Amino acid sequence: MDRLIAYTAERIFSDHVDRGVLDAAERGEFPHALWDVVREAGLHLVGSPGSGTDDGDLYELLKLAGRHAVPLPLAEVLIANSFLDEAGLTTIAVDGVAPWGREADRVVTVEGEMSVDFDAAEDANLAGESRDRVQLRDVRRVDVPGELYERMALSRAALMAGALDRVLGMAIDYATEREQFGRPIAKFQAVQHNLAILAGEVAAARCACDGAIMSLTSADFAVTVAAAKARVGEAAGVAAEIAHQVHGAMGFTHEHSLHHFSRRLWAWRDEYGRETHWQELLGRRVASGGADSLWEFLVGVG
Amino acid sequence: MFAGLLFEPTRLPGEAEALRAEVRDFVARELPPDYWPNSDFNEGHSPEFSRRVGELGWIGMTWPKRFGGGERTFFERYVVTEELLAAGAPVSAHWIADRQSGPLLLNYGTDDQCRRYLPQIARGECFFSIGMSEPNSGSDLASVRTRADRVSGGWIVNGTKIWTTDAHRNHYIITLVRTEPPSENRHAGLSQLLIDLRGEGVTVRPIKNLAGGEDFNEVVFEDCFVGDDDVVGEPGNGWTQVTSELGYERSGPERFLSAFRVLVEFVRAVGDEPAPGEAALIGRLASHLMTLRRMSISVAGMLQKGSSPVVESALVKSLGNDFEKLLGELVRLQAPTGQVGLEKCLRQTLLHSPSFTLRGGTREILRGVIARGLGLR
Ligand SMILES: Cc1cc2nc3c(=O)[nH]c(=O)nc-3n(C[C@H](O)[C@H](O)[C@H](O)COP(=O)(O)OP(=O)(O)OC[C@H]3O[C@@H](n4cnc5c(N)ncnc54)[C@H](O)[C@@H]3O)c2cc1C
Repeated sequence: MDRLIAYTAERIFSDHVDRGVLDAAERGEFPHALWDVVREAGLHLVGSPGSGTDDGDLYELLKLAGRHAVPLPLAEVLIANSFLDEAGLTTIAVDGVAPWGREADRVVTVEGEMSVDFDAAEDANLAGESRDRVQLRDVRRVDVPGELYERMALSRAALMAGALDRVLGMAIDYATEREQFGRPIAKFQAVQHNLAILAGEVAAARCACDGAIMSLTSADFAVTVAAAKARVGEAAGVAAEIAHQVHGAMGFTHEHSLHHFSRRLWAWRDEYGRETHWQELLGRRVASGGADSLWEFLVGVG
Repeated sequence: MFAGLLFEPTRLPGEAEALRAEVRDFVARELPPDYWPNSDFNEGHSPEFSRRVGELGWIGMTWPKRFGGGERTFFERYVVTEELLAAGAPVSAHWIADRQSGPLLLNYGTDDQCRRYLPQIARGECFFSIGMSEPNSGSDLASVRTRADRVSGGWIVNGTKIWTTDAHRNHYIITLVRTEPPSENRHAGLSQLLIDLRGEGVTVRPIKNLAGGEDFNEVVFEDCFVGDDDVVGEPGNGWTQVTSELGYERSGPERFLSAFRVLVEFVRAVGDEPAPGEAALIGRLASHLMTLRRMSISVAGMLQKGSSPVVESALVKSLGNDFEKLLGELVRLQAPTGQVGLEKCLRQTLLHSPSFTLRGGTREILRGVIARGLGLR
């Protein structure tokens, strides 16, 4: 990813996404100040035509957003702006649900409908992220990319990869600081082994996600997304479980910020197809080629 | 990003991919018609097959030409090894020499040693074993007691190695020994000696495993003389050398493909229109395999750049070995009955599965290496 974008995004997210902003967003308050900063920096156009950045940058930015639990509909905005002319805040709806629908200027559905005239009723996922129920009125067709659902699924994989990285960091820090029996709990082998498993899942998630990002323009994109969403989703469950175990009761409090990430992992693994959806799809593709082409298929998709 | 998680996205370059078809043709031609494919790198010892692999230049691929190597990339080697494993070819004879003994000699051996052994290895005519474990030294490798005492012109070795894969049919063993008495620094005073397995003072006794096979051995050294020209690297530098060897040993495709044939046979058994649960299982396993491959290829890229990815390798092996065990267990629960090929693979895999998370460093030891990489110890 472009270093300057990464640096800018990292700085903005670190400076402007804090407890207060996250909690307010969960109460239903749109983070206007953050949105303004993001727009001033041009981050809402990363990956859009003429921006000098590509889809790869877009997904790298989403990893960073996941690392910071950015409470904006960034995946929707970026992906919409990658194929539509930018016009305020555009969100993307699937099954009648759109992140920050009630704040949006425009709603596009994954099926390729668009409207600027719609109702939006407040709702949220289990991470408290806005997932409003939208009803479009004056609908018109738009050309959406052929694999928009896959692109959205990959956005969730990228967000998870970022959040996973953060969760690992939090667990390592906590284990190094928290003392019991006269020493940091990181010194206990059982804790070390759990963290090693967590690290393995985080690395695997990152590699699975990167694989799909590398295949953005290839004919195998859908298949690599299936593998990525399934594998990252699996990692999310294991990682959240271990991170909470390491954090003890403190991690179960509302006070501690681990839940900002663990709840998002639990939510995102279900959005745009949970693991079994993508596993089945991938499995059917593999099986359709027959046993003796299985290997060829696996190495063919890279 | 954390140490040990630097898996750069890496694609196999075209010249590596180009080898795939050649390897497939070769295996299709060379596998005896009654051979039952097995993707476990420890299974299937065939000197004839290995010689044929050597003739094609597929052993010692990354080594210098003057030592019989091919001066090719780690990516090209990666493609050859994964294709051989996926096809279930009998690779065990040359595997260790190609993967780690050769590179060890290249890194630490003398010019003379390289000239003596590497060309033979590359031709697929000379096979090596690993002499690390002992009856009382498994995970705690630095505690080895096999000792070598200085005599004029060389060393006299006494002691016992155990679990030595293929020692009864290989030519040489690179043996980790104490050349100085134990001291405060547990890692000091260790050395590696290259010993002829058929030489005087060496007794090899096969040990039957629970699957009924005789692949690993006990190797006893009694006043075995080893000349100075068969010391690998500097005397006393054994620990550093052995550790570097493990980097090569841990990250390859053999660490997640051992049970691969089970998946192939499962797909055959359920046919091209699997039930949803069957499809999901195939997809889940495929998503793991695709990911492990990416990680392993990324490590090949690090080796190609000359770095020694110790933590990354441990991570790939650890994830990979767990996957190998999971594969068999999950398929077992959904396996249709009366499928002879699948049944055979499942049995074979289950019987060998305990070894997956032991050989090459146990799961617990690997997790310790990863934890160190994370800065926890
Ligand atoms: C099929 C096979 C082939 C092999 N081939 C070779 C070969 O060719 N050459 C060779 O040198 N060796 C070989 N080995 C030996 C292998 O390297 C050892 O089995 C391995 O290092 C573990 O040693 P051990 O079996 O003595 O178990 P131990 O070290 O006694 O361990 C027993 C159990 O205790 C655990 N344990 C030990 N120490 C710790 C610790 N500090 N923290 C937590 N848990 C711990 C281990 O993880 C394991 O679960 C082979 C083994 C197998 C199974």
